[in-house]
Amino acid sequence: MKLKTLFIILACIGTSAVYAAKINVVTTTSDLKSITEFIGRDKVDVSSIATGYQNPHFVDPKPSYIIKLSKADMFVTVGLDLETGWSPQLLSSSRNLKIQKGSNGYVDASAGVTLLQVPSTINRGEGDIHIFGNPHYWLDPINGKQVAKNICDGLEKISPENRAFFEANLKTFDDKIDLKMKEWTMKMVPYKGIKIVAYHNEWCYFEQRFGLEIVDFLEPKPGIPPTPTQLVKIISEVKSNAIKVIISSPYFTTSSSEVVSKQTGAKTIVLGTSVGAFDSIRDYFDLFDYDIDKLIQGLK
Amino acid sequence: MYYYIKTTIVASVLLSVSVMAFSQNDSIAKADSGLLKQVEQQLTSKEPVSIPIQVRTSPSTLPDISVIGDFRASYRNNVKRNFDAGINEAELSLQSVVDPYARADFFFTMARDPVTGKFSEDLEEGYITTLSLPFHLQLKAGKFKSAMGRINPVHPHALPFISLPTAYENYFGEGINDEGVSLSWLVPNSLFYQELVVQVTDGPIDNPSFSRSVGNTYLELAHLKNFFDLSANATLELGFSGVTGANSYDFRTNIAAMDLTYKWKPVQYNTYKSFTWQTEAYFSNADTSKYQAVNSFGMYSFINFQFSRRLFFTGMYSYSNKPYSASTKENSYSATIGWYATEFQKIEIEGKTTSSNMEKEQNQVLLRWIFVIGTHGAHQY
Repeated sequence: MKLKTLFIILACIGTSAVYAAKINVVTTTSDLKSITEFIGRDKVDVSSIATGYQNPHFVDPKPSYIIKLSKADMFVTVGLDLETGWSPQLLSSSRNLKIQKGSNGYVDASAGVTLLQVPSTINRGEGDIHIFGNPHYWLDPINGKQVAKNICDGLEKISPENRAFFEANLKTFDDKIDLKMKEWTMKMVPYKGIKIVAYHNEWCYFEQRFGLEIVDFLEPKPGIPPTPTQLVKIISEVKSNAIKVIISSPYFTTSSSEVVSKQTGAKTIVLGTSVGAFDSIRDYFDLFDYDIDKLIQGLK
Repeated sequence: MYYYIKTTIVASVLLSVSVMAFSQNDSIAKADSGLLKQVEQQLTSKEPVSIPIQVRTSPSTLPDISVIGDFRASYRNNVKRNFDAGINEAELSLQSVVDPYARADFFFTMARDPVTGKFSEDLEEGYITTLSLPFHLQLKAGKFKSAMGRINPVHPHALPFISLPTAYENYFGEGINDEGVSLSWLVPNSLFYQELVVQVTDGPIDNPSFSRSVGNTYLELAHLKNFFDLSANATLELGFSGVTGANSYDFRTNIAAMDLTYKWKPVQYNTYKSFTWQTEAYFSNADTSKYQAVNSFGMYSFINFQFSRRLFFTGMYSYSNKPYSASTKENSYSATIGWYATEFQKIEIEGKTTSSNMEKEQNQVLLRWIFVIGTHGAHQY
């Protein structure tokens, strides 16, 4: 009996020691969580603030997130002002110097990513324009490799003793991306150059990588809800370009795109913008599996 | 002699500037021809175009700067001048991190006196906040809105109604906005969010409940915030506040307050639908002499319902005594419809009626147009 009790106590101590050794990471989005888990494996404990079916521009800075951030060793952000409406306030309130901008625990996942749509001038009259460029870069799997590298660098700063482990996982991640890229590219070859319409301007990286051509957006300007005038314009464009598909995101209502669908026969397809957008999108690779299959179904 | 020296210097400067300008033009011309050559080469080449490394824009140490305009138009039934319109207030905010250890926030206002039409400037808030103290503490020093309940810390432009609740106005006027220090502690509670704030300030100069003492009586405030995630879509906040300070009778006023806020916002469609129910109650004990005290009460409750991405409705009820008159009984009802064009512009129209056992019924219709330019920090949840 005594031996059994001792064993349980030792097991508990052992478990807590393993748990304590884990790096506590908070990411702003579920894609960053998925990639961090891939690189950090059992050495990290990761939580994401935004869910996969949530608009990452508009996350409510609930005080409960402050608890997570106050205990974090590392914070990973999409950056480029995507989370400007909520993450700076949460970081300031976290009282955690380790994850403040400039600290070792602050990882800007966009570092080194080649950005698209970098404006030369900024005018709010053009809608929600991001001053550093379009921030939806994770929707190109090749950019996912750069994100993984940034996360790997961040983890190495916090836990240099596990450098080789993280590097090996990074290589596995990169290899898997390269392998999957061949599969995704092959699937998309028949649809290269095909014209589509999107709800919001968040697909430019996906568009470029897979050779699509987004003709127009349902939003007349980024962040401005569709207007009747814009929908009339879209209907005309869909008809004149024989467009088969309108792509949207889980956090936009489909009422506007359904109006266009009714008038033109084009299908409205809701693609995943992040891991967890739909039940079957469990990791970063699933995201592209889902989106490409769904898109091809619509284009057939 | 001085004239010649001056002329020579001016001529030299002009000459050097023009030489620089010509040389720049020359270099631009060279660059243009080089660019043309590159474009021609790329057009004829079948090799993929390599993308140069991008330089990120805006490496600036300037703080976030914004100006918020608050245009108002109003009709009031029981005043000499029934209609009024104009810029009620302009707010300039400067917000930035100071260094790795602190951030600073400044809010300057230019407020219009509706009687004279003249604007007067004021430092609405100006404070430094630490980013990392041990034991999950955060220190704030300067002039700031006190952590009293749910309305007081919020800037009026961020509220979903135009006229402040009658109970709040009766006890705090335009709010407790005072100079001093504030210490906040994030209670190590893993079950739910708990924050305790303790503040000591000089005492407000112009406030219905409190007055700045010439002696060593300061305004002391404590607020305990309890925040619960009921589900992914719903939250509940329960707060308790206590504030004590000198009053205009040179005695002490103590106010205990409680706030309760329920919010529902579906995570997936959080820009389209939301519902908030918020209630605050104030229990005041004001000593008016060594042997006399007035115990009074005030409360408000409102619901805010978001119908669509841009359309909001707020309905509010408030009941209130006054800090030095428990026999005064005021009831007010208001309804506000808000149209939010974007995050940077909203228009609201509000009707409010206030009845009192001491005064004539007051009716008012207000219109508010809020507009923001620049970068303005997010407000608290």
